[in-house]
Amino acid sequence: MKRVPKFLILLAAFAMVIAACGDDEGGGDGGSDDEIIVGVSWNNYNEERWAKSDEPAIQAALEAEGAQYISTDAGSSAEQQLADVEQLISQGADALIILAQDGTAILPAVQSALDQGIPVIAYDRLIEDPGAFYITFDNVEVGRMQARVILDLVPEGNYVFIKGNQADANADFLRGGQQEVLQAAIDAGDIVNVGESYTDNWDPAVAQTNMEQFLTQNNNDVDAVVASNDGMAGGVVAALAAQGLDGVVPVSGQDGDAAALNRVALGTQAVSVWKDARELGKAAGEAAVALARGTAMEDVEGSVVFESPGGNSMNSILLAPIPITQDNLDVVLDADWITEEALCQGVPSGSVSVCP
Amino acid sequence: MTKTAPPIPDAAAEDTTGTEHGRARQLLGAMELDTRLLGMLAALLVIWIGFHIMSGGTVLTPRNLWNLSVQTSAVAIMATGMVLVIVSRNIDLSVGSMLAAVGMAMALLQAEILPDIIGFDHPATWIITLIAGIALGALLGAFQGAVIAYIGVPSFIVTLGGLLVWRGVAWAMASGRTIAPMDTTFQTLGGGSSGTIGGFWSWVVGIAAAAGIVFFLINQRRQRQKFGFHVRPQWADIALGVIGIGVVLGAIGYLNRYFLPERLARARAEADGIPWPPGGLDISLGLAVPVLLAIAVALVMTFVATRRRYGRYVFAIGGNPEAAELAGIKTRLTIVKTFALMGVLVAIAAAVQIARLNAAVSGLGQLTELYVIAAAVIGGTSLAGGIGTIAGAVLGALVMQSLQSGMVLVGVDAPLQDIVVGIVLVIAVAIDTFYRRRAT
Amino acid sequence: MTVDAKPTPLVEMRDIRVAFGGLHAVDGVTVDLYPGEVVAVVGGNGAGKSTLIKTLSGAHRCDSGQIFVDGKPVTIDTPRDAKEFGIETIYQTLALAENIDAPGNMFLGRELRTRWGTIDDSAMEDAARKVMGRLNPKFENFKTAVMSLSGGQRQSVAIARAVHFDARIMIMDEPTAALGPAETEQVNDLIQQLKAEGIGIFLISHDIHDVFDLADRISVMAQGKLVGTVNKADVTKDQVLAMIIMGKLPDEVSETDLAHLHD
Repeated sequence: MKRVPKFLILLAAFAMVIAACGDDEGGGDGGSDDEIIVGVSWNNYNEERWAKSDEPAIQAALEAEGAQYISTDAGSSAEQQLADVEQLISQGADALIILAQDGTAILPAVQSALDQGIPVIAYDRLIEDPGAFYITFDNVEVGRMQARVILDLVPEGNYVFIKGNQADANADFLRGGQQEVLQAAIDAGDIVNVGESYTDNWDPAVAQTNMEQFLTQNNNDVDAVVASNDGMAGGVVAALAAQGLDGVVPVSGQDGDAAALNRVALGTQAVSVWKDARELGKAAGEAAVALARGTAMEDVEGSVVFESPGGNSMNSILLAPIPITQDNLDVVLDADWITEEALCQGVPSGSVSVCP
Repeated sequence: MTKTAPPIPDAAAEDTTGTEHGRARQLLGAMELDTRLLGMLAALLVIWIGFHIMSGGTVLTPRNLWNLSVQTSAVAIMATGMVLVIVSRNIDLSVGSMLAAVGMAMALLQAEILPDIIGFDHPATWIITLIAGIALGALLGAFQGAVIAYIGVPSFIVTLGGLLVWRGVAWAMASGRTIAPMDTTFQTLGGGSSGTIGGFWSWVVGIAAAAGIVFFLINQRRQRQKFGFHVRPQWADIALGVIGIGVVLGAIGYLNRYFLPERLARARAEADGIPWPPGGLDISLGLAVPVLLAIAVALVMTFVATRRRYGRYVFAIGGNPEAAELAGIKTRLTIVKTFALMGVLVAIAAAVQIARLNAAVSGLGQLTELYVIAAAVIGGTSLAGGIGTIAGAVLGALVMQSLQSGMVLVGVDAPLQDIVVGIVLVIAVAIDTFYRRRAT
Repeated sequence: MTVDAKPTPLVEMRDIRVAFGGLHAVDGVTVDLYPGEVVAVVGGNGAGKSTLIKTLSGAHRCDSGQIFVDGKPVTIDTPRDAKEFGIETIYQTLALAENIDAPGNMFLGRELRTRWGTIDDSAMEDAARKVMGRLNPKFENFKTAVMSLSGGQRQSVAIARAVHFDARIMIMDEPTAALGPAETEQVNDLIQQLKAEGIGIFLISHDIHDVFDLADRISVMAQGKLVGTVNKADVTKDQVLAMIIMGKLPDEVSETDLAHLHD
C-alpha cells in the first residue's frame, strides 16, 4: 500500500486549475436518450494513479458498452465532493462511480442519488451504505497471497512480520490475511514468529532499522520475512544485504513498484502482489453500465456479499490481485506496467526468462 | 568561552566535608568536566544496561552497538546544525521534508541522469551527486534563511511552509516513484557491508583520535600558561587524557569485535583466494562510513560553534539579539548562514539515508524534523535560544535511537515506542529546566 | 554658550532631526563635545535624548542634520561606523549577551583571533583582565556568563568594553540607573578618571541630580527640541530643573517660577 502523499497546497491548487481546464469533456450535450451516461466523482485527480491507470480503464470499458463518461474532481475536499455528485446527477448521469474522499461524509449525496434511482458504485474505498455497490481489491487476499508465496518457499522456520502503519486499517487487513494462511503451520510449531512490528508511516527507513534489530536479536537466525508492502520490503532487503542474507531470506511485498519488481527479477524479493488498477477501472465501468441498464446488484457478474466493518452487507466485487514472482514477470511486462529496462536492470542474463 | 554549563563549583568553596561525595565532586571539579554531559552519559548507560538485561543480553553486544552507531548517524548529523538554529532563537521544521527532496534529487541524479551522461556506475558519480546534493541543500537552506532574516517572517512559519513545500517537491520530482538502486560507490556512504573501513583503519582512526586528545590538552594548557591563567592540576589533565584515550580505543576495540557475517566473510575469502579455515574467519567490519561522517561533522561543527567568530555570533544573537546588532554583528547574514549550514547537513544526512536504504522514496524522513529537534533539546539546547552544545545534541540523538532500537529488541511495538520517546523527551527537558534553575 | 576659545570640538551634532511617523522625536537639535569634557544631556521621559544619542552611536539613522567628528563631516549608519570613529556607547540596557562571558562580551563583534583565524579566548581574557584591573580590581568572574553577574559587575563589563577600545568619545545612557550607592560611586569615579584621560563623555539622564556633579555643561531637551546648553558653573540645579520642566532658560525664569518647582 502506498501512503497517499500529502500535497502542498500550491500544487493542489495548481492541479485544480488544470483539472478545471480539462473538464470540458464532461459538458453535457445530454447525449441521445438511450445513451447511458456514467458520472465519475474523483476525490483527488492529482494523484498519479487515477489519471494514469484508472480513468483510461473506465473510459475504455464505457466506450466498449457505448456509454458516455463525465467526471468531476473534488480536490481532496469532502464538501466539494457532495456538490460534485449533485452536479453529476444534474448532468443526467444514469450511474455514479464514486472514489470517496470520506466514506461517511459522502453518505447524504449517495442517499440522494439512490433515492432518484441512480445506482452508486463505491470505487476502491468503502462507502458504508448497503445500497451502494462496492468494487475493490481484496486486501485480506493480498495478505494471504504474500504469506502463501513465502510459506511455499519456507514451510518451516523463523518468520519476521513487518507490518504497515498502525493507524491504517489496511495494515491489519493484510496481517489478518497473512495469519490465516500461516495459522496451521504456526499451531503445528513449524513456523515461529520471532519478530513483529508496525512501521510508522510505512516508512522504508523505519522498516530497515526494525529489521536490523530483529536480525541482531535472533543472531541472523531468520528464515523468512513477510513485509506488507514493497517500500518496506526495500528496507528489509537493505538490512538483509548488510548481513549477506539478501536473496537467501525470502521477502514479500505488494504494489508492483518498479524497484520491487526489479528485486523480484534479481531474486532478492520473493513476491510483489500487484493490484492492476486497470482491472479495477474495467470492472467498475462494466458494472456501472450493467446497473444503469437495470441489472440487480446481486446479478452483476462476479458479485459477492461483503460484510463491511460498519455492519452492512454489501454487494461487492472483490478483485483478486496477482502475486508477481520470478515465474510470471511477463504479466507486468505484457501489461506495459514496467519497461524491460527497468525490470531487468542489473539482472544477469539468463537468470530470468524475461530478461535477455 | 561560550557558556553552556553552569559554573564549575569552585574547589575551595566545595571543600566542606571531605566525605566521599565531597571528594568525588572535588575530583570532577578539578577536571573541569561538563557535568551535564556526564549526566547524559550516565543516562545513556542506564538505558543500555536496562535494555541489555530486559532483552536477555543483546543490547551491549558489539553488533548491536555497531547497528546503533549507524542508525544514529543521520539524525546526529542534522542535530548538530539544529543546535545552532535553535541557539539563534529560530527553529527548522523543514529538515525531514528537505531530506526527502534533496535525497530524491540525489537519487534521480545518480540513477537516471548521470548514467545517460557519463555512464552507469561511473567512478565519479558518487562525488558529483554528493556535491550537487550539498549545493542544493545549502541553496534551499539559504533561501529559507533569507526569507526569515531579510523579510522577517518567523522561522516557525517559513519552515512549516518548507515542511509542506519540500515534501511536495520530493513527490513531484518522481511522481511518487521509488528510485533505486543507488550507485555502487555511493552506497558506501550508507554503511552497508561494503560501507565500513575495516578493523585496521579503525585502529588508525582511533590512534589519530588519541593523538588529537593529547595535542588538544597540551595546547590548551600551554595557551593558558602563556597568559599565566589558572590551569587544571597536572594530574587532572593526565587523568583526562588517559580516560579519553581509554574510551576511544576501548570503543574501537569493542566495535571491532563485530565480524563480517559468515556468508559475506566466505565470499570475501573466496574473492581474495584465501581458503576457508574450519573455525571460520573473523573479519572486523570496523567503523561504518556514515559514523565517521557523523563524527567528522560533529568535530567540525564544534569547532565552528566555539572557535569561529560565526559560531560566537550565533550564540550572541541567541543571548541578546539587540546587543549583537549594537555590537556591529551582521545578524541577518548570520541567520542566513545558519540555515544554509543546516541545509548542507540535511544534504549529508540525506546521502547517508538513501545510500543506506539503497533507494529514495518521497516519504523519506517523515517526522524526522521532530527527532532532530528532540535530539538537540534532549542534548541540552534551550528553545529560548543562546544555550546548547554540539556534543550534547549527538548524545541526545544516541539516547533516542538507543531507546527506540532497544524497545524493538525487547518487543515493544511502534505505538508504545512513540509514547515512551515522547515521555522521555518531556522528562529530559524537565530535569534540565529544574537543574538550570537551581544552578543560577 | 560655549565661549572658551577651544579648538575644534570632538563631536558636533548639528541640526539633527529624527521623526517616527509624524512624531518629531528629535527636532533640530545641535550639541557638541570637547575632549576631557562631560556634557550631560538631560530631559524628561520622551524628551528625545536617547534618540538623539542613538544617531551618534549608529543605532538609528537621522533624517536630516550633520555629524562632525574632529570638525570633519561623517556618516554614521551602523554601530560599526560609530566604533570606527572612536565612539563607544554604554547603553542603558548594557547590551550584553547574557549567555557569553565577560571577555566574550567585551570583544563581541571585534574578537581577537589567532593566526589560524580562530577566536583567541586566552588573549581576550588577558586583555579583559588588564582593563578590569584598572576599572574594577575586585572583578574575578572572567569565565562565567554575564547572566550570573551582579548589576555593578555587568556595568563594569559594559564600561570595560568601551574603555578597552580606546574610545575618544563615550556615550553613557543612564549609567547608574540600576546601581546601588556604592556602585554608583564607583562609576562616578571612573567617569572622572576617563575625563582626566581626555575622553569626551555624553552623559544621558532623566534626573539632573544624578549628573549635576559630573557634568561640565548641561544640554536640556524637551519634546524633541533643545531648550538650551548651559555651563554647570553658571547655574543652579533648580534653574536646570526649570529648563527641564518649563522649557525656560535661566534668564527667562522668575523667582516665583522657581518657587513653584518644589510644589
